[in-house]
Amino acid sequence: MRWFGALLTRVRASWRGERIYDEINEEMQFHIEMRTQENIRRGLQADDARMAAARSFGQVQRIAEMGYGVRGGGWLEALLQEMRVAARSLMRAKGLAITVVVTLALGIGANAAIFSVVRGVLLRPLANRGENRLLYIRQSAPGINTENTTFSVAEIKDLKSRATTIGEFGDFSSIAETLLDVGEPRLVHAGVVGGAFFEVMGLRPVLGRLLNSSDDGPKAMGAVVLTHRFWTNVYNSDPNVVGKPIRLRSRVSTIVGVLEPSVPYPANTDIIANMVTSPHHMSATMQDDRTHRMTELFGLLKPNVSLEAARSELTSAFAAMVQEHPEAYALRANHQLNVKPLRDQITAPARTILLVLLAAAGIVFVIACSNVANLILARSVRRESELAVRAALGAGHGALRRTLLAESLVLCGAGAILGVALARPFLSVVVSYAARFSVRALDVTVDSTIVWVGAILAMAAAVLLAYVPRLPSANAANGFGLTSGSVRITSGTNRRLRVFATTQIAFSFVLLAAAGMLVAALIALQATNAGFDTRQVLALNLPLVPDRNPDAKGPQKDLYQELMQRVAELPGVDRVVGGTFVPWRDNGTSTRYQFSVDGYTPAAGEDNPYARRRYVGPGFFATLAIPVIAGREFTEDDRHRSERIVVVSQSLAQMFFPNGDALNRRLWFTGGLTDYNVKPDPYRIVGIASDMNDESVVRTPAMMVYSPLRSTGERLFVRTSGDPYALVQSVTRVIRELLPNQVVERAATLEDIRAEVLTPERLNAFVVTGFAGIALLIAVVGVSGVLAFSVTARTREFGVRLAVGSTPRHLLMQVLLEGASIVAVGIGIGVAGGYALSTVAARYFNNVGFPGTFPILAAAIILGVAAVIASLMPAVRAARVDVLQALRSE
Amino acid sequence: MEKQQPSLPQGTLDMLILKALSLGEMHGFGVGQRIQQLAEDMLTVEEGTLYPALYRIEQRGWIKSEWGASENNRRARFYRLTPAGRKQLKTEETDWDYLSVAIAKVMRST
Repeated sequence: MRWFGALLTRVRASWRGERIYDEINEEMQFHIEMRTQENIRRGLQADDARMAAARSFGQVQRIAEMGYGVRGGGWLEALLQEMRVAARSLMRAKGLAITVVVTLALGIGANAAIFSVVRGVLLRPLANRGENRLLYIRQSAPGINTENTTFSVAEIKDLKSRATTIGEFGDFSSIAETLLDVGEPRLVHAGVVGGAFFEVMGLRPVLGRLLNSSDDGPKAMGAVVLTHRFWTNVYNSDPNVVGKPIRLRSRVSTIVGVLEPSVPYPANTDIIANMVTSPHHMSATMQDDRTHRMTELFGLLKPNVSLEAARSELTSAFAAMVQEHPEAYALRANHQLNVKPLRDQITAPARTILLVLLAAAGIVFVIACSNVANLILARSVRRESELAVRAALGAGHGALRRTLLAESLVLCGAGAILGVALARPFLSVVVSYAARFSVRALDVTVDSTIVWVGAILAMAAAVLLAYVPRLPSANAANGFGLTSGSVRITSGTNRRLRVFATTQIAFSFVLLAAAGMLVAALIALQATNAGFDTRQVLALNLPLVPDRNPDAKGPQKDLYQELMQRVAELPGVDRVVGGTFVPWRDNGTSTRYQFSVDGYTPAAGEDNPYARRRYVGPGFFATLAIPVIAGREFTEDDRHRSERIVVVSQSLAQMFFPNGDALNRRLWFTGGLTDYNVKPDPYRIVGIASDMNDESVVRTPAMMVYSPLRSTGERLFVRTSGDPYALVQSVTRVIRELLPNQVVERAATLEDIRAEVLTPERLNAFVVTGFAGIALLIAVVGVSGVLAFSVTARTREFGVRLAVGSTPRHLLMQVLLEGASIVAVGIGIGVAGGYALSTVAARYFNNVGFPGTFPILAAAIILGVAAVIASLMPAVRAARVDVLQALRSE
Repeated sequence: MEKQQPSLPQGTLDMLILKALSLGEMHGFGVGQRIQQLAEDMLTVEEGTLYPALYRIEQRGWIKSEWGASENNRRARFYRLTPAGRKQLKTEETDWDYLSVAIAKVMRST
């Protein structure tokens, strides 16, 4: 522990410094005084006695210094002193200091922001108590292409009765409700849960209580828990909200509590309610139909039970259940159970993207550091004579290093402060970006992580930078000139400068190529023709719209017809039609159905093909401008026709009726996971519509089967020749005239929906391009700096060459070439390194691609042009060297 | 001009300081004087080496210092041996006896 005491003395000494000096001086004075008195006793005159005493003592100052060093002043205090000097001397080199600080700040800021998100999303434990025992259970049926499916109530009962490793199961299903109490009618997403849910999830209320077993069963009162977000945003954090009634459609329940802030999982719902609030949950379909799967299942492991034990028990319980109910589980479907920790489930989608971002930020930091190293190196070369003088006067290596360290500490400290300041806006960008992949990102806030990451990076950079420059030694033959004030550049230094510049180019290239790849993919996606009109069609959601008007008196008119008529009469509306699926936006809400057609038998070992099923109103194809290639479009009569008819997509027709005789042939559905919707009765094909893909922005042929919409449909498509958004208000108004409590929301043109769907791609491209831009900027500064330095150092050489007849043009070209060669080598390394990197990355991540020729070429060209621009200024300076000035400088 | 005294072998000054302080606490000037007296003026301790040595030994924890009043009532820094210093002195004395006998044997051999 002695070193600790010594360290303590040192640290204390750094602010006790003055006092130590005073004490030592006082002690010396006392000594001299005593000696003087003794000299007087020996018979000397007072003045002589004092002089002799002082002489015999020697250099008070030197002894004081030595004593000071021993007594623990020294290093740290001297460093602080040096830092003050460094700050002053850097003030004189403002350009350099600003470049270094900004460069470091960009690197540190980007890393601090992204690391904060990585920590918040991937590393931080969930708010749930016992989160490491919390399991997420799902089933899949790979045999019928069904992944990650929920459970039916009957299945959950079976699993519950067989499991011994799970202490408690929690179930959750979501349902949409209309909330009428707060402002305009609004759609709320409600989670419907059993009483054990909150106990299993380990969540606490911030207000009132959560749901428990007393809320279960058909006789319980309707009880609702608000999520923290909903309480904050919609109820303005009303502290008296508990006990208030809440009206969902026509039923009134009571708000019993507010949930603590937590990851909204499994669904981002606004409220969580007990079973009785949802008539559907109390219905026989929900309770008894084994294939009516809409419930999420969670399990809390019993203490000291391993995940593996639970997994194997649940898997065999599931297998036994499947065997007992062959009617519900087709053998070929190959039903399976999946059990994993909830945390993995929540973080998995964000993992890859965050690690990629972290890598990009890391690259930016490396580039920033090597650029700063370059600038510092160049500066220290200019200071070589100063350092050499100090070395000659006896400054030790430690002292010289300290000077360099002080300077880099000042620079990196300033960089870190600016970087942390920059990290805040960076963080909000990254959070809104990462939130698309993991809900956890929403909870990431600015915290101390940013500060300590910034500090660690700055320290790392500072130490690195202090050890970059070579120190002059007392050995003069080392190439350091004491005599000349001009800069002499040693080949070693020059090589280091080039290595750093090449590193920057290589890393920038990797980022640029990656950005190029993403931008190229984005452009390709945006240029895709959807196969229907996207610009002039407005889509609106009418969630929970009834089939019949509940408020209408007297004989009921057809609600769909009435609604469409009112909207169609609005000025500016060309066409209007109802549907159930808004292209792209409603992805994930539809199931695919297996089907067969007249005269088709699947080849041996193959299954029936799958198709998407869409219910559309009369005139749907005309409204979206999807060409009907053969047959006809749906009409109003089809909504009431008892005959079962469909329109199919072109690619379906071509695949099964290659002779072009699809019309009037029969098609029927043969089953799928949700069998309850499937009836074996055949449909007659009445039309063939041109291909479109409403689930993917990439237009690939899709098997589509359209049926006439008989009910009202929760989606509305309005076609206009004018501004689509100008219609939103009037459309909402006429709907409300008919249905006062109807929610009308999410009005957007199909074009904007596509843009919205492309947002992750655009954000990916944007973020990576941003990083690449920063990297490019830094690299340009780096190359330019290296060349400028090399030109300055060779002023004399250029002077001589001009004097003996070189043309300025020639010198200009030479410097440009020098810049180009750095870039060429950098790109070469970048291509090789990038390839190696993507090969390694491909082993750990899916979807790692190597960019095509175009992005690589583009990145190379951009870097090349940037390099020429960067070289231009130093090159012009080389060409303008004044011969006389240059020769005289020696 | 006085005759140049031979310089002390490396490390012996520390031992002498410890020895001087083992006779009682003392200020820096007194330590120098005490050593000179004990050596019967055969040794003078230079200030330039005395103080750094004092500080060094204090840093090692063998002596402790505090401000006090000198014999002529002036503020002076007094040093005194710590138990660790006493132990150190004992070791150094033993080592020294052994070494001086050994070195003498070597040097006096004919």
